[in-house]
Amino acid sequence: MLLKILDLEFSYQSSKILNNVTFEVKSGEFLGVMGPNGSGKTTLLRCMSNVLSPQVGTVLIDSRDIQKLNRKEIARKIGVVPQTSNIDFAFTVAELVLMGRTPHLGRFDSYSTHDFEVVENAMKLTNILHLSERTFDEISGGEKQRVIIARALAQEPRILLLDEPTVHLDISCQFEILNLVKDLCEQEKIVVISVFHDLNLAGQYSDKLILLNRGKIVSMGLPDDVLTSENIQSIYQIETIIKKHPVTNVPYVIPCSFAKKDKKMKGPTVHVICGGGSGTPLMKLLLGNGFKVTSGVLNVIDSDFESARDLKIPVVGEIPFSQIANESHRANIELIKKAEFVVITDFPIGPGNLRNIEAAERALDFKIPVIIIESAPVSQRDFTQENLEKYFDRLKEKGAISVENLEGALKKVFT
Amino acid sequence: MAIDFKKEYLRWNLILLGLLIALFFTIIIAITIGSVGPIGSGVPERIPIQAVWDILFGKSSLWPDTYKTIIVDIRLPRILLAALVGCALAVSGAVMQGVFKNPMADPFIIGISSGAAVGASISILLGLSISIGIYSTPFLAFVGATLTIFGVYFIARSGGQVKVETLLLTGIAVGTFLVAITSFLMYMANEQFRFLFFWLLGGLYKASWGTIAIAFPLILLGTIIILFFARDLNAMILGEEPAMHLGIDIESVKKILLVFSSLVVGTAVAFSGIIGFVGLITPHIMRILVGPNHRILLPASALAGGIFLIWSDTIARTILSPTEIPVGIITAFCGAPFFVYLLQKSKKGRL
Repeated sequence: MLLKILDLEFSYQSSKILNNVTFEVKSGEFLGVMGPNGSGKTTLLRCMSNVLSPQVGTVLIDSRDIQKLNRKEIARKIGVVPQTSNIDFAFTVAELVLMGRTPHLGRFDSYSTHDFEVVENAMKLTNILHLSERTFDEISGGEKQRVIIARALAQEPRILLLDEPTVHLDISCQFEILNLVKDLCEQEKIVVISVFHDLNLAGQYSDKLILLNRGKIVSMGLPDDVLTSENIQSIYQIETIIKKHPVTNVPYVIPCSFAKKDKKMKGPTVHVICGGGSGTPLMKLLLGNGFKVTSGVLNVIDSDFESARDLKIPVVGEIPFSQIANESHRANIELIKKAEFVVITDFPIGPGNLRNIEAAERALDFKIPVIIIESAPVSQRDFTQENLEKYFDRLKEKGAISVENLEGALKKVFT
Repeated sequence: MAIDFKKEYLRWNLILLGLLIALFFTIIIAITIGSVGPIGSGVPERIPIQAVWDILFGKSSLWPDTYKTIIVDIRLPRILLAALVGCALAVSGAVMQGVFKNPMADPFIIGISSGAAVGASISILLGLSISIGIYSTPFLAFVGATLTIFGVYFIARSGGQVKVETLLLTGIAVGTFLVAITSFLMYMANEQFRFLFFWLLGGLYKASWGTIAIAFPLILLGTIIILFFARDLNAMILGEEPAMHLGIDIESVKKILLVFSSLVVGTAVAFSGIIGFVGLITPHIMRILVGPNHRILLPASALAGGIFLIWSDTIARTILSPTEIPVGIITAFCGAPFFVYLLQKSKKGRL
């Protein structure tokens, strides 16, 4: 089974909803379709199920043009699951699933034993057999969606189209429904095409992703290639951080809209000397308050380094477990020279990062104010086997200000 | 756990069998009800049930000839027409409610009654029944109804599709326009006013074997064809798009259902005028009793509609005997409270 979409174009009156959409999906593949509101996702599904006829282009199922099939033939190949189904009439669950056999029956046929077997099997797969005599209005939202999926399965389709199937469901139902669909996709080798609003659900369940914008495919491929913060920035205009899901290792999108502000920011620059995660909250706080932030030197596996990179902060990196090299030190001082303030957070200091304190001293030489955050005494995080306090005392002698916490530092920077 | 689909079929068959038996006895009993001859003529007030049985099943010689005349020539055609009209209204009511997904839909929802009324008004005002023939009024009513349906359908059409919402609103607009015409014609009518008014209220007093001969094949044909679209209607009440996903060619199904329900309603209206409530309420009552599945709902409504209208007409022709009142008054008067009662009683309180 191969579903091919070739050069699809669809317009309502004069506005083009879909333009030049081309892709293909194979049996057992799960394709996620994403895009902002009005990007043409639902229209694309409607063209694929032949509810709408595209003005240009074709939808091919195993190289047969869908336009040349009648509605019954299409319904035997394609099952559709909408966002929600409002059924005002008190049909029982079994009756609704039985309706899925409609495309297999002629007008004068009655249901055969085979039809009943298919229906029962579909209800088993979706785990709704125990609901068979209940009416549709008596069951929960998640159960309703399972009934609709069972009805689609009773059509024995080779392609399943889902339009944001979990958008109105709670989080456990979301996973239940999508796990079910994923299993069907893999075990029954069904082509699954699902529209998603939730980028993370899309990334987690899809083998391939399509990102639509204004009716055009902007990006298509593996979740890793499509879910990038550049793509999301250009289409949704929000800043995001892309992490790997700790278990599944698929890209995980974390929106951080506050980072958007720093584009237009004209505030003073603060250089943050930090490490071990102590700098991350300060960096976010400063960015959120309109400051420009730089940082260094941080070793590249330090979580502060990762944060700085995610927040798009200029940062000087160093190879892990080694001392700050001359080159990095010089780069750090260059950044410091451009800053209006330097803040030292309370992080553990050892021989590897001691040169950052020296760098802070240089700042004072350039008449750049230095603020030291000291929520814990320096002696408690001294791994230098020298007397670290001595270094800090010298900073304070040269005019560095000591504060107790983040807010204190922020207050100083403001005044 | 296996689902027992057969059990459901058994239940459906029992329901239909029960309704058939009820219809049969309704016909027999309704024949016996009503006064027979002038008081003092020696003929009893009511025809005994034994007489009805004997006369209908071939032993008429045992009873007076007046009985035979009353039963075979007067009451039986009237009762059969009531059964046919009730069936036609109830089935097309169920179809309209299904196609429009609207519980307030009835057979007249898209203007069929106002179209028929204009046709009948013209015929009555011009006295065509006398000058051309007794079937002029039914014929013109039928033509009016059919023209209205097609007019509404084509006005509502855009881009090869007819959206049900557009169809509904167009029907209401066209219907209102036609009612204005009928009202004007009634205003202009003088001596025919009462006659026209009576026609509009509906009644089965025009029944004869001649009308049965025309109505029976048309209504039976239309109803049987509609029954074969039960599965399509089940899909259609889920919505147009879900129905398409189930392989239903909704545009042609809509057209076929409109054509054949117009045929049965047009026929019914032609011979009995505009009888309200049967088409609205019968499908609802049946939905509460047998469920929303059209495979049982349509035949059950057909039979129940017939039974309902026979009883309503029996009351209409006897309650103020020797005069009779329009049957529409009885259908509304009895049907509406019974409907409310069922609505209260049904545990879901829904349609």
